[in-house]
Amino acid sequence: MRFSSFADLFSHFAKRTPEAPALRFERDGSLQTMTYAEAEAAIAGRAEELRGNKTCMGVLADGSIDCVIEIFAALRAGMQVVLLDENAPLTLLRGLLPYTDVDMLWGDSELCEALAPSLARGVSGGEGRVLFFTSGTTSRSKAVVLTEKSMCACAYNGSTLLPLHEGDTLLCMLPIAHVFGFMCGMVWGLSCGACVALGRGARHYIDDCAFFKPTAVSVVPMLLGFLVKQGLLNDELKVLLVGAGECQEALINAVKAKGIRVCFGYGLTETSSGVALSIGDEPYAMTICPDYTLSIAPDGEILIKTCACMMQGYYKCAEDTNVALADGVFRTGDLGSIDEKGRLHVTGRKKDMLVLDDGTKIFLPEAEGALSHMLGSADFALALSAGRVTLAIYGDGRSDDELLDAIGAYQNERPIGQRVASIKRLSEPLPRTATGKIKRWELKARL
Amino acid sequence: MTREERLERTIKIVRDCVPELENVELREDTVVNTDMGMDSMNFILVICKLEAEFNARIPNRQWTKLSTLGEVVDAIEKYSK
Repeated sequence: MRFSSFADLFSHFAKRTPEAPALRFERDGSLQTMTYAEAEAAIAGRAEELRGNKTCMGVLADGSIDCVIEIFAALRAGMQVVLLDENAPLTLLRGLLPYTDVDMLWGDSELCEALAPSLARGVSGGEGRVLFFTSGTTSRSKAVVLTEKSMCACAYNGSTLLPLHEGDTLLCMLPIAHVFGFMCGMVWGLSCGACVALGRGARHYIDDCAFFKPTAVSVVPMLLGFLVKQGLLNDELKVLLVGAGECQEALINAVKAKGIRVCFGYGLTETSSGVALSIGDEPYAMTICPDYTLSIAPDGEILIKTCACMMQGYYKCAEDTNVALADGVFRTGDLGSIDEKGRLHVTGRKKDMLVLDDGTKIFLPEAEGALSHMLGSADFALALSAGRVTLAIYGDGRSDDELLDAIGAYQNERPIGQRVASIKRLSEPLPRTATGKIKRWELKARL
Repeated sequence: MTREERLERTIKIVRDCVPELENVELREDTVVNTDMGMDSMNFILVICKLEAEFNARIPNRQWTKLSTLGEVVDAIEKYSK
C-alpha cells in the first residue's frame, strides 16, 4: 500500500492489524515485541513530548528500539531528522551538526555531551524531511534531503516487486544511518505490515539470525559472505535482498542451495534507495520499479527520472544539486544497459570511486591525493582487487613494508575496511588517457 | 595473566577465526587488515571471540581505532569487566 507519511503507515496498520508484531528487539537479554498498536501509541506519545521549540533532531543512530521510536516521533512532531553514524569521527560529527541545523540530539549520552557545543539554531520548513549522508569517505560530506513521502513511495515500489506479508520478519542488520539499511532493512517491512527485527549491531552479526529467526534479511555482499561462511543463516529465512554490489557466484549458489531466494537491488541515496530489483533467475538482470523511468546516456551512464521518489536535493548545495539533477533527471555516475525485456544491468562506474563490499564509497581523487603527499612521485593508483583496497604501483624501489610505513598516517585515519589492504606491483606504467587520467577499467583488468 | 600471555591467546584466536593466516607471522606490531589480509567481517568475528574469551566489551566507537594486534590486546585489557 502507498502511504504518504510514516504517521499514515503506522496509523493504518494500528487500525487494520493492531495486534500484529511491528518491531522486535532485545532488551535485557530477552526477545521483546511491540505490536503495531503499541508502536503507534509509543510514537504518538513521544511526538507529543517533542512538540515545542526544537525543529531539527540529529539522531546518532544505534538501531535500537528507542532510536527507531525517536526517529518516527520526531518526524511526527514536525521536526527535520538528520541520521548520523554514531561511529563517525567526532571531528566530522562536529562539522555536520551546524551544517544540517541540528538543534537537538538523540543518542549515546557521552557523545551527545561532547557534541552539545556544536548544536545549531534549528531550521524552519523542515517538516517531513529526513537527511541522509551518502556512504562515501570524502571529507566534503553532503546531506541528501529525502522526505517521508519519497521514502514511503520508494518502499511501495520495492514491495510491489518483492512483497513481504504480515507473518514475515525482516531483520534489520545494517546501520540505519544509511539509506539502504533504513529503507531495505526497516521501511520495506513496515510498509508491508510485516515485523521488523532490530539487529543488535556488528557485535551480534554472529547470532542475530539465530536470535530473531527472520524470514527476510537485507545485506551487503561482504556481510552475506560472512553469514554464509560462518553458517549463520537460519532455517526460517526465505528471502535475501543484496545491495551495493555483486557477489561471487559460488556464494549465491550456496544460499540458493538452502532454498533461500536471492534478489539483488540497485538504488542510490538520492533516489530514496531501490530503483530496480532482480526478481527472476538472473541475479543481475533487474526489473525497474514502477515509479522510475530509466534511460542510458550516449556514454553509457544510467539516468533516472522519478517524481515520487527523488531527493529534494543536497542540503544547502544548490550547485551540486543542479549538476546531479538537471530537468528532473538524476545522473547516477553508474554505467549500465537495458536489455530487450526492459531490465537494468549495471556494468560499472563512471565516477572515480571505489565501492566497497559494505557499500562504502572511496572517492579516488581525494584518497589518491592524500596518498600522493606520502608516496611522492610514485606512479600509483587505488583499485579493488578481490574486494580489497589495493595500492597498484609501478616502478618503485621501496619494499611493501616501506610503502606501508610511508602511508601510515593515511591508514590510521581510516576505518579498517577502507585502508590499503594489499599492494600489487605493475610490470608496466599505469594505463592513462591522453590527458593523463587513469584508465580505471584497464587497470582493474590488469589486476 | 601477563600481557604476553594475552597476546599469545589473542594470536591463537585470530588464527582459529581466520584459517587463511595459517602461514602468516603474527606479532604485536602486525597491522590488522593490512599485513594480515583480514577483512572487516573477520575482524568483527575476531573481536567478538576475544570479548567472549576475556569477558570484555570494547565500545563500538573504539573498534575502528584499533590498528595493530598490540592495540587490540591493550583494548581487551582496558575494557575487561
